[in-house]
Amino acid sequence: MGRIQKFFKQKIKQDYTPYIVLSIPMVFLLFFLIWPLGTTVGRAFIERGQDFSLSNFSFANFDRFFTSTMYQRSLRNSFLVAFSVVFFTLLIGVPMGYFVARVEMPFKRVMLSLGILPIITPAFVGAFSWIILLGRQGVLRYLINRILTIFGWTLPPIYGLFGIIFTMTLVYFPFVFLLSHGAFKSSNPLLEESAMIMGAKNSRILRTVTVPLILPSLGAAAILVFIRSIGNFGIPAILGGQQYVLPTLIYFRVNGFWDLNGAAAIAMISVMIVIIALWMQKKIISSREYETISTASSEHKLYKHPIIKIIANVYCWFILIIALAPQITIFIMSFFEKWRGLLPIGFTLNNYLSIPQIASKPIFNSLYLALTASFFTAILGSLIAYIVERRRPKGAILIDFTVMTPFVLPGIVVAVALLTTFSSGPIILSGTYTIIMISFIVRRTPYVFRSVCASLTQLDEALEESSLIAGANWFYTFRRVTLPLILPGIIAGTILTFSTLLQELSTTILLYSSKTQTLPIQIYNAVADGKFGEASALSVLLMLTVFIFVYLMNIFVGESSSSGLKLG
Amino acid sequence: MSSDIVYENVVKNFGGRETLTALKGISFRIKKGELFCLLGPSGCGKTTLLRITAGLESLTEGKILYGSNNVTMIPTFRRNIGMVFQSFALYPHMNVFENVAYGLRVRKQSDKFIKNKVTEIMNLVGLPDVLKRNPSPTALSGGQQQRVAIARALVYDPEILLLDEPLASLDAKLRRYMRAEIRRIQKATNITTIYVTHDQEEAMAIGDRLAVMNVGVVEQIGSADDIYNNPRNIFVANFIGKMNFFNTKIIDIKNERYIVELPYKKKILEIKMPKNPEMKDMLKENKDIFIGSRPEKLTINKNSDKGLLPGKVQIIQHLGQLIRYEIKPLWKDNAELVEVDMGFLVSNIQEGDKVFIDFDRENTFLFIK
Repeated sequence: MGRIQKFFKQKIKQDYTPYIVLSIPMVFLLFFLIWPLGTTVGRAFIERGQDFSLSNFSFANFDRFFTSTMYQRSLRNSFLVAFSVVFFTLLIGVPMGYFVARVEMPFKRVMLSLGILPIITPAFVGAFSWIILLGRQGVLRYLINRILTIFGWTLPPIYGLFGIIFTMTLVYFPFVFLLSHGAFKSSNPLLEESAMIMGAKNSRILRTVTVPLILPSLGAAAILVFIRSIGNFGIPAILGGQQYVLPTLIYFRVNGFWDLNGAAAIAMISVMIVIIALWMQKKIISSREYETISTASSEHKLYKHPIIKIIANVYCWFILIIALAPQITIFIMSFFEKWRGLLPIGFTLNNYLSIPQIASKPIFNSLYLALTASFFTAILGSLIAYIVERRRPKGAILIDFTVMTPFVLPGIVVAVALLTTFSSGPIILSGTYTIIMISFIVRRTPYVFRSVCASLTQLDEALEESSLIAGANWFYTFRRVTLPLILPGIIAGTILTFSTLLQELSTTILLYSSKTQTLPIQIYNAVADGKFGEASALSVLLMLTVFIFVYLMNIFVGESSSSGLKLG
Repeated sequence: MSSDIVYENVVKNFGGRETLTALKGISFRIKKGELFCLLGPSGCGKTTLLRITAGLESLTEGKILYGSNNVTMIPTFRRNIGMVFQSFALYPHMNVFENVAYGLRVRKQSDKFIKNKVTEIMNLVGLPDVLKRNPSPTALSGGQQQRVAIARALVYDPEILLLDEPLASLDAKLRRYMRAEIRRIQKATNITTIYVTHDQEEAMAIGDRLAVMNVGVVEQIGSADDIYNNPRNIFVANFIGKMNFFNTKIIDIKNERYIVELPYKKKILEIKMPKNPEMKDMLKENKDIFIGSRPEKLTINKNSDKGLLPGKVQIIQHLGQLIRYEIKPLWKDNAELVEVDMGFLVSNIQEGDKVFIDFDRENTFLFIK
């Protein structure tokens, strides 16, 4: 008896708060990520209208990939789009990264800042502004055709696969540009210099030293672009015309037939493609990853030859202007009624003045959903990061993997998973704010998670240990030491979350109801109805808000340079 | 309030794919008020033992007691200990005062009490002026950060003070100064202190007693003098100071004196040792053993009558208070270079000369192979 009492006394002396607090995010993940994904996989093997039981197991939903030309073409299109976009973004982005990193030229900071713009502009905005420029009555197409008719040619309108690939390339090439720029800039210059000393010519150095060293970064950029382009809904929805890709096919399946099981099957296929791509990237890159050992922090010598400088400048600005054409177009368009042919017609402020009347509910919804979801994402992401980095339980890698899953899943797949699970059964959430909020949280937790993980790895663990030594319990330590020191990481991740949630379309497109319609949905519908003026004004509003928040984040990330927080 | 620390058969395994035994059943006692050094090469388990003492690591088997209190299951924050980390672990988001006051705030002391206590402790560590400016600890020099870290660990009168390589991130000159300071502060407060280091000079200079550790076991415990002059085995002999080893064979044992045969022309040496009683049983006639000699206990001479083993002088190093001769053995034994420290420059010996090495019979050790 005495022993039992002693045992309990000792157990009670232990600090159990962390176990209680840290189990909350685990329950959330289990309930809103693992369960829905499991249900989706299960439902994919059940035909529409059938009960969810083992006896109804069938491959009928997958049969369409063998029988329907529409399915086959969608699959082919998705492949074609994703691989082409990866190819073209590398083709455009790598030289740009190299020029900005290694050639002496003015306004490098401006170029890098402008490079971020296409990424943080909602992709569907890019899509519809290219309709204004290169659509049936697009201004650029009008100009180009005037020249081409001399030779008897005409430029077709941008709709279709070409338009999808073209727009996506311009939207996603900054990933390649920025990542390769970083790699070119940070690789150890001594490696190239020593090759030079051993008598290698420039082209040989580039081929045998420079490029192999940045290959891991290029691989990371390529897989990022691949995942984004195969999961993007807005661009193919607006520009695709008769050409479907997997996300639009899923939308079609749900919206046209309310066939969630069929959609689940398509979702499974598209997830499998992503998994294969990830596996290929690992295969190709992992054998080529090197630790570059750099003792002295020296800088690369920049090219100063005038011809190289001219080529580099012209190239970079040419690409940037094309990539930023949508933003400029949208801004102009927002002050006009129509833009068909050379010049926009009918200057008006009505597009803006009517916003309160037509869009106040969507604006409220967007802000409300993004804010609340960001708040929960911040808590969830931070806690999970803390668990993985500090508690290091046995299955830490598994947790890491689970949290990061939504990062590689197409948004519409997450939407399908939530719909299949929560539109019938014990908990019904379809059409509510809650389901959108959950989709937002699940999809953006990786952002905060990664950001906070980075902060935590840079934070000397001895800081927390010394607090325990000083007699503080877990919660006190977390509140007074850990939290203040990882706060910049949390804020940076949260702002990124918030600003991307404001423009989220690919999940909300399946989850919204008339009550919960968001601003991107409103813009998408306006585009579909041909109300380009209204869509432009709303887009400008959205973009401005996003820019402001990204700017704020840069300030925070700039300050957080967490290495400054490390003592000794 | 300071107390003894008792380790009873402490075992620590680190999990993972292959279990790694960091501590292989360690038992010893650190006395109340003692400044005790844990010394050993990296990976010997000294930091693990310190972290176990703090409760930052759990132990696989065994017990730890503070005095008569079994603290094995007590979480760190209830142990009332102080610790100085190698990286100092000062909070960059708090100023110096708040850093030092941290443990007192945790203990919910009144502001007035905290102010007095912090001032007092900052005086003790020799930083009374820093509190006036009260900057962020990042703005302090390494030596100042070190003192703040010590002040923070001592301010709430812990039962035990733990120091984890506290001088490792300071430069050589500051290190020598700070180790004297740490000893002064420890003696002033008289808190039982464990000091972990891999630097034998530091350990010998600072510790009342030291434990030499190697691959998870304690090889020897004793005062610096004791360990230097009576190393129990080859590892300790080599880790604490330098020891030259020679292959020999015992040919006779006569009333506590050992006659050994040297590997050159069957020359003979008579040794009074060993001082370690437990070794005696293993020393028998015809047994191959090592004899060991500290560099300063060897002499060299050009004259073959005044030395036993021949060698060639390879390098002469002038080290200030002594001259170090590195001698390449010329007997048939592929042994390492022999180090001989002479208090003076031997005038007729140059690099490349052949010399003869002689032993100090009273200060030559016997080691089991």
